[in-house]
Amino acid sequence: MPRWGMAADLDRCTGCGACVTACHAENNISTVGPYQAMRGRAKHWIRVERYWEGEFPDVRLKFRPVMCQQCGNAPCEPVCPTYASQHTEDGLNAQVYNRCIGTRYCANACPYTVRFFDFFNPEWDKPLHLQLNPDVSLREVGVMEKCTFCVQRIKAATIQAKADETELKDGDIKPACVQSCPAQALVFGDLNDPESAVSRLSESPRGSKLLEDLGTHPAVTYLSRQTQV
Amino acid sequence: MDRRSFIKLTAVSGTTAALASCGNPENQLVRFVPDEDIVPGQATWKPGVCPLCASGCGLTVRVMDADKDVVRDGQAGVVTIYAAKKLEGSTDHPVNHGGLCTRGQASIQVTYHPDRITQPLKRSGARGEAKYDPISWDDAVTELVGRLDALVSAGNQRALALLGQARTGHRALVVQQFLQRFGAPAPVRWEIFGDDLLRRANALSFGRAQLPTFDLANARFALSFGADFLGTWNSPVSQSHGYGAMRQGRAGIRGAFVQVEARMSQTGANADRWVPVRPGTDGVLALGLAHLLMAAKVGAPDAAGRAGALIEGWSAGLPAYTPDAVEKLTGVAAAKVERLAREMAEQRPGLAMIGGPALAHTNGLFSALAVNALNALLGSVDQPGGLSFTPQFNVAAAAKAAGPAPDAGASLEELAAGILAGGAGAPQVLMIDGANPVFAAPKAWRVRDALENVPYIVSFGSFLDETSALADLILPDHSFLESWAENVPESGSAVAVATVAPPAMAPLHQTRATVDVLLDVGRRLQTPLNLPWESMEALLGITFATLPPSTEGGDAWSEAQEKGGWWGALPAALVAAPSGAASASTVAPASGFAPAAFVEPQFDGDPAQYPMHLLPYASTTFYDGSAAHLPWLQEMPDPLTSAMWSSWVEVNPTTATKLGIRDGDLVDVTSAHGTLQSTAVLTPGIAPDIVAMPMGQGHTQFTRYATGRGENPASLLAPLTEATTGALAWAATRVKIARAGDPDGRLVLFAGGKNEEGRHGPGEEHR
Repeated sequence: MPRWGMAADLDRCTGCGACVTACHAENNISTVGPYQAMRGRAKHWIRVERYWEGEFPDVRLKFRPVMCQQCGNAPCEPVCPTYASQHTEDGLNAQVYNRCIGTRYCANACPYTVRFFDFFNPEWDKPLHLQLNPDVSLREVGVMEKCTFCVQRIKAATIQAKADETELKDGDIKPACVQSCPAQALVFGDLNDPESAVSRLSESPRGSKLLEDLGTHPAVTYLSRQTQV
Repeated sequence: MDRRSFIKLTAVSGTTAALASCGNPENQLVRFVPDEDIVPGQATWKPGVCPLCASGCGLTVRVMDADKDVVRDGQAGVVTIYAAKKLEGSTDHPVNHGGLCTRGQASIQVTYHPDRITQPLKRSGARGEAKYDPISWDDAVTELVGRLDALVSAGNQRALALLGQARTGHRALVVQQFLQRFGAPAPVRWEIFGDDLLRRANALSFGRAQLPTFDLANARFALSFGADFLGTWNSPVSQSHGYGAMRQGRAGIRGAFVQVEARMSQTGANADRWVPVRPGTDGVLALGLAHLLMAAKVGAPDAAGRAGALIEGWSAGLPAYTPDAVEKLTGVAAAKVERLAREMAEQRPGLAMIGGPALAHTNGLFSALAVNALNALLGSVDQPGGLSFTPQFNVAAAAKAAGPAPDAGASLEELAAGILAGGAGAPQVLMIDGANPVFAAPKAWRVRDALENVPYIVSFGSFLDETSALADLILPDHSFLESWAENVPESGSAVAVATVAPPAMAPLHQTRATVDVLLDVGRRLQTPLNLPWESMEALLGITFATLPPSTEGGDAWSEAQEKGGWWGALPAALVAAPSGAASASTVAPASGFAPAAFVEPQFDGDPAQYPMHLLPYASTTFYDGSAAHLPWLQEMPDPLTSAMWSSWVEVNPTTATKLGIRDGDLVDVTSAHGTLQSTAVLTPGIAPDIVAMPMGQGHTQFTRYATGRGENPASLLAPLTEATTGALAWAATRVKIARAGDPDGRLVLFAGGKNEEGRHGPGEEHR
């Protein structure tokens, strides 16, 4: 059984935001408009955080793409009264929309602020709806949503490999953010396969996990940005 | 309310809702029989070409079934169509290597935009009122043909003008041939962030009037003067791909990168070192480095060949550009200049690039020539880890398009002045193909006034914007997914490329491909233009058939349609002039060009009254504003501020304190040409005498998502230009800022904290 994980090389990441839009396009994430965005209701399953350091003229800025860390010991899961937030066998923090009753306990528990609540039914001004991805369910009002590591792509590739009676190869599955990244900063794969690119990157001495002191065991490894001189 | 009445009420209202949906014809689902055989739930992948900038990234388009709303015989219902669902970068394309930027990802919304123009329109209201009546394609084309025939009858063919974007390729060829055969002047090309100045500099230095391609993947040191090469400049996806490899693609080698600019761009944020420099002095720093490199014998003066010969004092080792002199002019400490030169000397191969704000000054050509000479001195030209020029597929030669080479075409400023001056030479019919100068050109050029004086304007655009809203006739183009798409990338690839893709889906609306409309008009004129191509498809078939196939006995045209283009080594006959045969540095210098020396940049506005420099910069999301109509991009947080749906003014915190401005306050920004009010964002990544604003917002007319949102910094711009090229010096306007009031909530941010200590994610309220 695989354990899906990701590595984000911050020395490659340029903060361009291609992943953010790619995620919207793949996962039917609705835009909420300026008024609701102002009230903190915009949804971005992946975001690019930026941190300033220093004062002019000795200024540095760091980017960090943050998505659901698919924790091995996820704070969002035990708090859910309906098992909507639940752990899958291949290590994903799944969100079952049909079980979700909108307590939002999971968002409160998540230290990464990567869970987003649907305050209303999603809307697409027609014919924008023609773009919607039929492989991803739409979330209705009162439901919590989040990054799935593009589970629809994982499932599709797994089923296809089974039908073709072949083995999944490392790199066969790419979530939308990974696929779009111009600088190839994001790598996805099976952490249980020691030969996979993501396993090797996760072993890098540059690697660290976000807020790992909390004991969440994230599946995402960040490779630190290098400094020169 | 007690429990009983609550249940009663919900029962009643629930039933009412259910009944309403039954009785409301809008909610009845009538399924019509599709026009084509459609397999539901099965995806196919087709090639595509990204249309949002000139880079020409190759796409893979995911196509699946979708239910489109239609009305048939007065009955509303849905019909299943094949629709594009997702755009990915084409994996083996030599420009983007599978990547696709945020604008490219969002470009699919162009096709499905609710405010797309769905059929030909004829103006019914006053000019600019944006009131239109539908008109049939037949009547529309007849009307345009009539207008053009009238010009021919009057012998006034030169009164036809076309205003478009600077693009190359097949569409540009048809436009140019149409105008040339009609007897009209060459097209007027205009984009605020256009790179014609750099093309001119490269023609002078290297004999190539073309944007450069950088081999970042093999570079050990990259120095960028203002070029936002990871975000918006030149070929950003190609350059980002190379950048990733430069940093972490080679075992044990990590390329270094230094960015020189006065406001930290998204690209500058990735630099190992960020070096702020006084506006308009980038060339001085480049020559200061060249001076030290020559003194250290890293390169001899004559090693820079023609590029060096263009710089005054070059052969003598640039004695005027000592580190101390450079510090005085640029504000970069002499020790920092020396350190930079030392790094460049030690870390080879290295390259320098210049673009964006560094060139947008009255002395921009000097700066570009200085950086070119620095590259030549480093031996970076046509070398691994340096810069080169992508061999250009000569589309005109492949299409056997006869006729003299096109003249350069008037500038936008000249076009507007010519119209306002009136007289026999003034354009009577103006065609607009994708440009929106009314939004982005300086007010002093009076582009809007000029266009209002043109008797007849035709637009081929898909949206009503500030410029196309002045049109008398709108002949909407297909979207890039509905028609043949093509691009001949000018840069971003080591080998020659021509990207092409057949339509990925059937047109959603009553639109027509603009190239095919032009060819049709050419045929229907009283004196037909005899353009030798039936359609875009036919033209592409002719040109691609001239290319060598990848297999013996193969067919390049079929192969190109399959894989989304052709790339490889071009036969000499198909390489666009100037020929790549001669090494760029050995081409003889242009005669009559006086060697360039630093001249103080000119700024508009009295420094006493307007103490700050205004920097309008290309937005990561909206570029120059032409992508502001896409809702995904409006709601995408800006990489440096996390702002969505907004405009803002970036101010240095020290400056802000002096002026009593706090983060989020309203500020008035005033130049000698206009004033606007926006929200202050305090950021350490900007020099104390600079204020910066992203371009893109402040549209008065550009669909429901962009109209009336934010402010347009172009409305403050002075009409200063670079003298030799006429390029707009868009970073040369001085402004003053003043606090205007408390935050009013118009600035929408996704995340709060600015540094890691104060980190918190998206707005707290969503919990």
